[in-house]
Amino acid sequence: MKIEISKLEFTYPGGVQALRGVSLEIEPGEQVAIVGQNGAGKTTLAKHLNGLLKPTSGSIHIGDWDTREQSVSKLAQRVGYVFQNPDEQLFSKDVGTEVAFGPRNLGFSGEQVQGLVNDALMLTELSDKTDTNPYDLSPTWRKMVAIASVIAMDTEIVIFDEPTTGQDAANIARIANVIKVLRERGKTVITITHDIDFCAENFERVIAMSQGKILLDGKANDVLGEEEILATTYVDPPQLTRLGKRLGFKETVRNEKEFLAILTKQGHG
Amino acid sequence: MPDRLSFYLKKNSIIHALNPFTKLTLVFAIVTYGLIGAGFWTATILVCLALLPLAFTARLLKEYLGVAVKLILPTAGFMFVMQSIFIPGGTTEIFRLGSISIELETVQRSYLIASRIFLFISAFALLLLTTHPSELMTNLTQRGLPPQFAYVIISTLQIIPQMQAKSLTIIAAQRSRGLDTESSFIKRIGLLVPLVGPLVFGSLVEVEERAIAIEARGFTSTHKKTYLHEVPDTNLDRAIRTILIALIIVAVVWRVWPS
Amino acid sequence: MAIVNLQNVTYKYPLTEKPALQNIDLQMKEGEFVAVIGPNGAGKSTLCYTLAGFVPHFFKGELTGSVEVARNETSKSNLHEWVLNVGLAFQNPFNQISGAKYTVFEEIAFGLENIGVPREEMKGRVKEAMKMTGISDLADRSPYSLSGGQQQRVALTSILVMQPKVLVLDEPTSQMDPIGTREVFSVVRTMAERGMTVILAEHKMEWIANFADRVIALHEGQILVDGKPGEVLTSDVLTEKGFGISRYTSVARRARELGLWKRDTLPVTLEEAVKGFKE
Repeated sequence: MKIEISKLEFTYPGGVQALRGVSLEIEPGEQVAIVGQNGAGKTTLAKHLNGLLKPTSGSIHIGDWDTREQSVSKLAQRVGYVFQNPDEQLFSKDVGTEVAFGPRNLGFSGEQVQGLVNDALMLTELSDKTDTNPYDLSPTWRKMVAIASVIAMDTEIVIFDEPTTGQDAANIARIANVIKVLRERGKTVITITHDIDFCAENFERVIAMSQGKILLDGKANDVLGEEEILATTYVDPPQLTRLGKRLGFKETVRNEKEFLAILTKQGHG
Repeated sequence: MPDRLSFYLKKNSIIHALNPFTKLTLVFAIVTYGLIGAGFWTATILVCLALLPLAFTARLLKEYLGVAVKLILPTAGFMFVMQSIFIPGGTTEIFRLGSISIELETVQRSYLIASRIFLFISAFALLLLTTHPSELMTNLTQRGLPPQFAYVIISTLQIIPQMQAKSLTIIAAQRSRGLDTESSFIKRIGLLVPLVGPLVFGSLVEVEERAIAIEARGFTSTHKKTYLHEVPDTNLDRAIRTILIALIIVAVVWRVWPS
Repeated sequence: MAIVNLQNVTYKYPLTEKPALQNIDLQMKEGEFVAVIGPNGAGKSTLCYTLAGFVPHFFKGELTGSVEVARNETSKSNLHEWVLNVGLAFQNPFNQISGAKYTVFEEIAFGLENIGVPREEMKGRVKEAMKMTGISDLADRSPYSLSGGQQQRVALTSILVMQPKVLVLDEPTSQMDPIGTREVFSVVRTMAERGMTVILAEHKMEWIANFADRVIALHEGQILVDGKPGEVLTSDVLTEKGFGISRYTSVARRARELGLWKRDTLPVTLEEAVKGFKE
């Protein structure tokens, strides 16, 4: 399902203009990371995609739907949104019921709901915790419950808001795996993140925002190599990108594979 | 998130500069006179001759009148309806609306009660408009109010807007999971669980962490507390308080004395 | 003379079976900057609470062994005396705002009011602490109107201003961008150089490698490795136990297998990696 954003502007009721003319298209099945300093407008943009915010001017289309004409609960059929803080949404007595809440709201049949729930629990490695009360789990696992509860809605588009904040290495790897599987299934994934190394290793397209506008938008390697422009929105390039630059690599690298490939070529050249 | 979480409006005036305790005494005096003064116009006179000039001196006449309009109209309206329903039986009909007769006695009684309530509330409103809440609490703590009590009052005032903001986030999260909040009333009752559950749990965690945070900053320390803000208590303050207390005593004695 | 001395400390939260900390032995010198790493649930926060006196005074539960800070023994002290020596700031900044104050300046002064610091000294200390953490321009804002990263700095400043002998920080930069993180680490470094002892639980390996004197790796409530950042952060056991490690370390380890990293030791910082790969 294609996302089309056209000349989007948004001003909060208090008068703060958070978006100042954003236009972009996201093709079905793309994996996009949005980076930029606090206050750059990343979350404001993401909240427009599922209709939590409506444009002051400009428009957003999710497939053939104009977000201005649809309710949030209707848009939830197409766009899933994983909020940053799981504690602001979990309420059920056990993990299974919690994860079933979304698909039930969307009107799937009982059998379908069960299938979706099982799949989401497996993907988030929660299968053995189906009957546990979410609040008896550690914050790390509660995060996975929140992710599962959105995956189970089986939407074409999934948005993650700062998925790695406060997570340890093992859980970041789990979240990266969820994103990989969603890519294989042809889902569109959009992630807002401060974690630039996570962004470099898991996303093909990167959008850098600053002061309510798009600063850079393109292939991850091209965007992450723009050290000086990124610095204006307080983003440091990924560790391996910086290392490659310091070693005089001509191409921008963003993960171990790319880094070692160039190193090997140089070693033999 | 609004920066202003209290009624307080900073202005450079003699009323603002008074010690909070002086202002509290003043409110107390006004309340006493409002309660004791038997006359029909007592409350009205106190508003016109005491509160309005005070508001003017504090450069807050406009804001005070704003509060007044928001307060007095609904209060008076409510009182009028209650009086008409529960204590009918006036004799002097002023005019008639179909089968309903409006009587002078009902209007008078309503006005009396409404004007008194308005006097009390708006006297407090004026105190809060001209006194910074932390200054008020600091001053009361210095005069012997337990700091825990002051803490509970101030933090509750501040936390209410935070709770509201949090509820909005929770509603947004559940709508994003397909919850239809624009549905019928009956269905809405069922919606309460997904909305209230996270709010309650979140508050429990919050309370524990906040307790740790203030404890880490010596909240239960046995040292004698000091205060960042100096709250001046001038000779003028003491003089005003003495006069007010004298006036209160006079009023009480006059009322209690068998005549 | 160690300012922090933990001997054979084991602790169980109430109503739990498994100890959150097991046989912890830990000595810290005055002015030392120690980072604690480990997966979530490894016991980092519990260790922080133990040093700060909240275990066992606030959480109750069962504590054995001895916890000594600045020659005081936790089991013989009151929490309100203990916090004068040991300052604690933790992850969630929102819950650390007292709620009793209307401006950042007042918020930071809150602790000093409680312990009875005279007014003029109080104002001076608040100003100095705010300058240090770079939040002087927030003085008149409401603490609630700030971003998560700004609130974290206010929480840190509120503890720094109390000038504890030992500073305990539990993931104090989780909501900060790289610029904020760098500033916090350099402030903490400066405090350590002035003699404050710092213990900091963190996931951000690159910063730990650049700033800490010593690293302790916790795993399932026990100390797995304890030593210099260069040794601990590159030790093979971390990867085996699922710790996060710096990209510089992991890429050099792979390069070493391919014969492209010639040194015996692995890098943890950008500078070390640059030097090593140039050889």
